[in-house]
Amino acid sequence: MSGTERTERVDRAIAWALFAAGFAALWATHGELGYVRDESVYFAAAETHAPWFKLLLRSPSLALGDPALVRFWEINHEHPVLMKSLFALSYAVFHQGLGWLRPDTALRLPAFAVGALVLPLSFLLGRALYGRKAGLFAALCFLLVPRQFFNAHISAFDVPIAAAWLLVVYCFWRAVSERRWWLYTGLAFGAALATKHNALFLPFVLTPFALYRAWTATRERPTARAWVWRFAAVYAAVAVLYLLLLVALGPERFLEKFLLLSPHTALFAGLGVGGAWLLWKLRPESEDAFRPLAAVQAMAVLGPVLFYVHWPYLWHHPVDRTAWYLAFHAQHNHYAWLYLGELLREPPFPLAYVVVKTALTVPVTIFVPMVLGLATVAVRALLPLSPALARRWPRVTFPEALVAVNAVASILIISHPNVPHFGGVKHWFPSMIFLGILAGLSVSRASDALLGLLRARKPDLPEWVAAAPLFALLLVSPLIATWRVHPYGTSYYSELAGGLPGAASLGMQRQFWSNNVTGVLPWLNANASRGARVWLHEVTGYAFHDYQRYGWMRSDLQPANGPADADIAVYQYHQEFREQEFNIWQAFGTTRPVTGLYVDETPQIVVYRRR
Amino acid sequence: LASPERRLGLLELGVLVAVAALALLFHLTLPRRSPDEASYRAVAEVLSREAKPGDVLLLFPWWTERARLFVPEGLPVVGYLGSDADPLERHPRIWVLGQPGLPRSGEGDFERAFLPGRTAVGTPRDFGPLRLSLHRNGRHRPTLFSSVDALASASVYLEGGNGVRLPCPFDGQAFRCPGGETRVAPEWHELKAQPRRCLWFAPPGGNRRLVAEFSQVPAGARLVLEGGLIWDRGWHHGPQLTPTRFGVEDVRTGRSLLRVDVPVGMEGLQRAEIAPEGGGPLALRIWSQSDRAELRELCLELLSQGPEGAP
Repeated sequence: MSGTERTERVDRAIAWALFAAGFAALWATHGELGYVRDESVYFAAAETHAPWFKLLLRSPSLALGDPALVRFWEINHEHPVLMKSLFALSYAVFHQGLGWLRPDTALRLPAFAVGALVLPLSFLLGRALYGRKAGLFAALCFLLVPRQFFNAHISAFDVPIAAAWLLVVYCFWRAVSERRWWLYTGLAFGAALATKHNALFLPFVLTPFALYRAWTATRERPTARAWVWRFAAVYAAVAVLYLLLLVALGPERFLEKFLLLSPHTALFAGLGVGGAWLLWKLRPESEDAFRPLAAVQAMAVLGPVLFYVHWPYLWHHPVDRTAWYLAFHAQHNHYAWLYLGELLREPPFPLAYVVVKTALTVPVTIFVPMVLGLATVAVRALLPLSPALARRWPRVTFPEALVAVNAVASILIISHPNVPHFGGVKHWFPSMIFLGILAGLSVSRASDALLGLLRARKPDLPEWVAAAPLFALLLVSPLIATWRVHPYGTSYYSELAGGLPGAASLGMQRQFWSNNVTGVLPWLNANASRGARVWLHEVTGYAFHDYQRYGWMRSDLQPANGPADADIAVYQYHQEFREQEFNIWQAFGTTRPVTGLYVDETPQIVVYRRR
Repeated sequence: LASPERRLGLLELGVLVAVAALALLFHLTLPRRSPDEASYRAVAEVLSREAKPGDVLLLFPWWTERARLFVPEGLPVVGYLGSDADPLERHPRIWVLGQPGLPRSGEGDFERAFLPGRTAVGTPRDFGPLRLSLHRNGRHRPTLFSSVDALASASVYLEGGNGVRLPCPFDGQAFRCPGGETRVAPEWHELKAQPRRCLWFAPPGGNRRLVAEFSQVPAGARLVLEGGLIWDRGWHHGPQLTPTRFGVEDVRTGRSLLRVDVPVGMEGLQRAEIAPEGGGPLALRIWSQSDRAELRELCLELLSQGPEGAP
């Protein structure tokens, strides 16, 4: 076995070990996590989807009719169903079928797997760019950001879309230099579209890279360059024609006319066939130009096809139901959100919000190397402006640029002042993985410097002698922070914020998603009178029911609609909901709570009992 | 000479080690900065022994509300975003329960907002990380009359644009006007983060006014009208919303004494005050009006206060 083969085998083993460790860590620690508002809906959706798969086996013609599809798939149709289908299948197999797992564990199992997938993928990408140490740090730091660790447990889409985004970029990176990976890129993009709408931005991030690669690969080859031009022209022409159709028909008629036999589908077919023919012509001229453009073509064709195929709800009405889905996200509500002492209720939101929030919620020993890694790549990207410096520093490579652009892409998109800003940091998780890889670059460089110092005294020291203590030093604080805040991950703030107390003084959002309520459920079980009416503020009806049927909360307790008809009110401390706490004071005749969840002194959940 | 990459690596090593050491120090010391239950109970014991009627407990930092679990029931606890600067006019003495050791507690900012007009009484006492101190409140204004406390003595009615009055009967807790929606009642509400026990006084809409008359208001050093739109109602804006007006009139002369106009989009507590003429009890009328009632949920209070700093 050659040295390279041995290295690859070791790296593959590390990748598998990272996956297994991540999966095990998530599974082992999910039991304490409450059900976030969205997750309770996705649980319900998955449980509604699950019987459809059985119906499909038993009576396919019935299962494929639109009434059955609406019945089983209309629930929560504001999100595509790849993850929900996985939750449903896992629930049907591991809980209902085999009886091996608790229902909530079965529902969350796919989330653990997808979350754990981030570790090997970021390791492999980081290792390829900057070496094994960088890859390892990138992988480890993903789950040691407490908010990411929290989100990786739950049956939601924010970590899965981050994983899918990473997978697409990984496939694209390999597609640039390896056969067949253009096809995998298209398939991965289809999976990303089927995961969450963030994926719609991926082509805008990757296509410039594909064009740049094709352009540089055909520098000395005019015939190939001409085919590249034609390929780009076909895409531009189709985009312009779609735009003209939209302008000419107006949005409503544009949708009405989007039929199987219509200019709309003709354009899509033209893009598919025309693009494929041009690539077929290009390939013999330049394989290097073909591969990245083929990845784009695969994304353009396979993405929409897979998106349609994976979602039964679209099968009979693909256009209007997809249009509704897109419109839902284009016009999403703005929820109130506390930021530096101000309640943000509507756009325009502060431009610095995403950067500040990231700085205050990523452990400082991970955030600082992220900044250093990104800064050094950014500075090196500017080196061509100074020939003297350019000679002394390596230029930014293609994959480095790919990683750096993806590290800032989601952050820039969410930073737009008109994009909804609720939801903590989860909406730009795709950026965080790539920032983790850049953090790995910085840590790897520091580790090499330490090794240099040590080897000046003892030249035969192995590499890990420098890397291991540095890793330990950098990751012990995030580990402590993750352990201390678990399972209340949405409440976490970093050392830069001053932890939770510092963030409270800064006037930052204390928590969201309602899952912190689990902190007071033991008190409720011990102290509520039999059949008491309990108002779990901000907890969905689904979650209330889940807490009872999965053993968190006594089954005799009754849900109340508000303080007026409650015996006990469990208030979620949010600045935007203070009026509701004072409504409790009014209804219960007291301003004194009976218990609460206080994390590092910060009020999270406050419980009142009627006098 | 080392290569630029190596020099950068050494620099990064130094930065990362320093940051990691500071972060570790932060995590190792953080748990000690939070008080345990015994500390709170010790504070509560002192307060039960030494607090007097009329005292108030102010929290610093404002959000350290865990104290509510322990503080004696009769002692009001104040802590909300912005409470550092609350004049706490009703209270001659203020207990401050502080946690200056918490990260970003902002003790300097707190003192700048809180201390003017206040005089420390005795020395602060520490109970673990909790610090309890007592202050005389120079911003105190004794309350001679509060429309919230005196509501039962009022007469409440809806007044049409033509002057026709429609009485709103009192059910022991609230005055409820015919039609069911409009009421006047003492309630807890939020006015831009601040909890206020105030009179629910949402205008009925149109040119009608909601009116409450009080016949025996002692004339103190000044009459104060405070109020505002609750919760997020002040933030809401749009062409369908209309300004909210409220004020106080002399029942005998019909003269307007106080008036507050709340334009659409204005949040928080608004205040108007006047030094009343003459010394005898006043008959006063509080009113509110908005052309459209939608989202105009008003909460207010009329106070008659003694001179500042009086016992």
